[in-house]
Amino acid sequence: MSTLLKLAALIDDLNGRVGRAVYWLVLVAVLVSASNAVARYGFNASSNAWLELQWYLFSAVFLLGAGYGLREGAHVRIDLIAGRLSRRTQAWIDVFGGVFMLLPAAAIILWFGWDAFAESWRQGEMSTDAGGLVRWPVKLLIPAGFALLILQGLAETIKRVAFLRGQYDWHPAGAAGDGAAPADTDS
Amino acid sequence: MAFELMAPLMFAMLAALLLLGYPVAFALAANGMLFAFVGFELGMLQPELLQALPQRLFGIMSNQLLIAIPFFTFMGIVLERTGMAEDLLDSIGQIFGPVRGGVAYAVIFVGALLAATTGVIAASVIAMGLISLPVMLRYGYDPRVASGVICASGTLAQIIPPSIVLIVLADVLGASVGDMYAGAVVPGLVLVGLMMGYILVVSVVKPGAVPALPPEARTLRGAALYRRALASMVPPLVLVFLVLGTIFLGIATPSEGGAMGAVGAIALALAKRRLTWALLRQAMDQTAKLTTFVMFILIGSTVFALVFRAVEGDLWVERLFGLVPGGAVGFLLVVNLIVFVLGFFIDFFEIAFILLPLLAPVVAKLGIDPVWFAVMIGLNMQTSFLTPPFGFALFYLRSVAPRTIATADIYRGIVPFVALQLLAVGLLFAFPGMTDLLDGERAKKIDVDKVEIRLEAPAEDRGADDKAEDDLQKALGGSAPPSGAPKEAPAPGKGAAPKSEEERAAEEIERQLGGRK
Repeated sequence: MSTLLKLAALIDDLNGRVGRAVYWLVLVAVLVSASNAVARYGFNASSNAWLELQWYLFSAVFLLGAGYGLREGAHVRIDLIAGRLSRRTQAWIDVFGGVFMLLPAAAIILWFGWDAFAESWRQGEMSTDAGGLVRWPVKLLIPAGFALLILQGLAETIKRVAFLRGQYDWHPAGAAGDGAAPADTDS
Repeated sequence: MAFELMAPLMFAMLAALLLLGYPVAFALAANGMLFAFVGFELGMLQPELLQALPQRLFGIMSNQLLIAIPFFTFMGIVLERTGMAEDLLDSIGQIFGPVRGGVAYAVIFVGALLAATTGVIAASVIAMGLISLPVMLRYGYDPRVASGVICASGTLAQIIPPSIVLIVLADVLGASVGDMYAGAVVPGLVLVGLMMGYILVVSVVKPGAVPALPPEARTLRGAALYRRALASMVPPLVLVFLVLGTIFLGIATPSEGGAMGAVGAIALALAKRRLTWALLRQAMDQTAKLTTFVMFILIGSTVFALVFRAVEGDLWVERLFGLVPGGAVGFLLVVNLIVFVLGFFIDFFEIAFILLPLLAPVVAKLGIDPVWFAVMIGLNMQTSFLTPPFGFALFYLRSVAPRTIATADIYRGIVPFVALQLLAVGLLFAFPGMTDLLDGERAKKIDVDKVEIRLEAPAEDRGADDKAEDDLQKALGGSAPPSGAPKEAPAPGKGAAPKSEEERAAEEIERQLGGRK
């Protein structure tokens, strides 16, 4: 168990670093998009490459940030019943959900996503718009993001199992914590 | 197992998995995949089905509407972190204070201003709970009125643009975000008016519940006070009017407007000397987390919808609503009732992503204006923040309210405001023109559309003939447009639900055949 917990800590650390790096892309996306708008209205200039860069960045934020989001408990749950259950039962639900929902679903998307990326890479696929960007980097975001998500799913499952065995301290997010706008609640 | 059972079973399984309390995004995706594999095993579905997934995901990633979500979120968080709520409440509270019910008016007014600028419900409720609630209690406000008005004003961000909910609804229903925003302004203001009217009534009927502040409660007066109020109010409002105005006028796309707004928010924070690296990092962090969570529910619901359509779940839902008498009116009443009741238990994101994609084809088929529908549902969903046991605005207020206020008071205080919101939904229902007041061009266009579409779905036709109609439609391959399907570009053209030529043709044939039957 302690080896597994070390692995979980490593994954936590990895996704923490990735998440904190990726959130800067929010600012970059804001600046790119605002510059595009200024260029379009101010100078009547527009570049498909720069327009596509907007959604490349946007995709990177939520795909590469997927593991970080899971680590931080950003995902909304319906805690109508679960909120009244004991911490142990909630941990069991997370173990069940991790093993039977999150990990298999993410693995399937990773699988198909990798195929789509490989295909794009082989063909050297380009944007269909003139002057657009090469497609494989953004297609790589799908398998990369879901790989990070799977890693974090493993880490969360390990932590819940360790908690159930009395080897790890874990607290479910509070009832008011993961509702309408999880990002707001730490304000 | 019979094929017809797949859709109802899939729906029941989803409800069970969601109630487990595992994150909605993954429950949706896993449920979709589970039924895809059951379908493969039973030979009902083609294994190629899931190969469509990367393309669907790719469509979500390149969706130009959704990029506006992080931009508006970021703008709101930055504005909020510059202490806007505190400044506004302090100054405007003192301006309105001397009037009976004054602090309550100030809370509603500030709530509306914050909704249009920061749009962060939790932050609005908490700020008002920390600043205005103690003032109201100290000078003898009825705790129920005080807590009710704070919770209700805090949730105005749901409906007043630039609201994230409306972006999501625009995407789900296939309408333009600009139209949604323009359509939501008047109903939002009507709701604000209703709330102020209620306080006015209380101040006449029960003056003791909302007393005026005594002179000693005012630290500032005269020109200094007004200068402070204007200084905290004008810059962010100008920013938001610029952003929304350019979107309404169709000059800027929502993503461009959002990005400019975010840059403007940073500039305002800089001008107020409140911009720090810590603030910027927090804003980016929260924006990234919110974006991840919203986009992952969208991914989950896309997986679910892909399989649900493959087992003809959309037709099942259409048939179910076909049983509702009264055509479009009956449909709207039932949907509003469902949304209101669901709002007691779940939040708008779940409703928007799970329920509305199921309804979108029916909305299109009945010829209901998607903007009007979305604004009505948005108004209705606002009650989900206020209705116990899972009203988040109530939780937020409870977390900062003094212990002297009983939780029961907070719950009872919210009742009149929930009633006001339902009244607003009713008014919008009775006067659909409210969504067109800001956009005359759209109004004309919609009228033409309605005339054309109403022919194909006469109210009395729904019912007995329905199954035949659906089967026929299935046979013609002309099911309603996949609403969850990604759209590459923001729809620049204004108007009702998009329909391809083939779909229109199929419906034309269907209408003629249906008429003869």
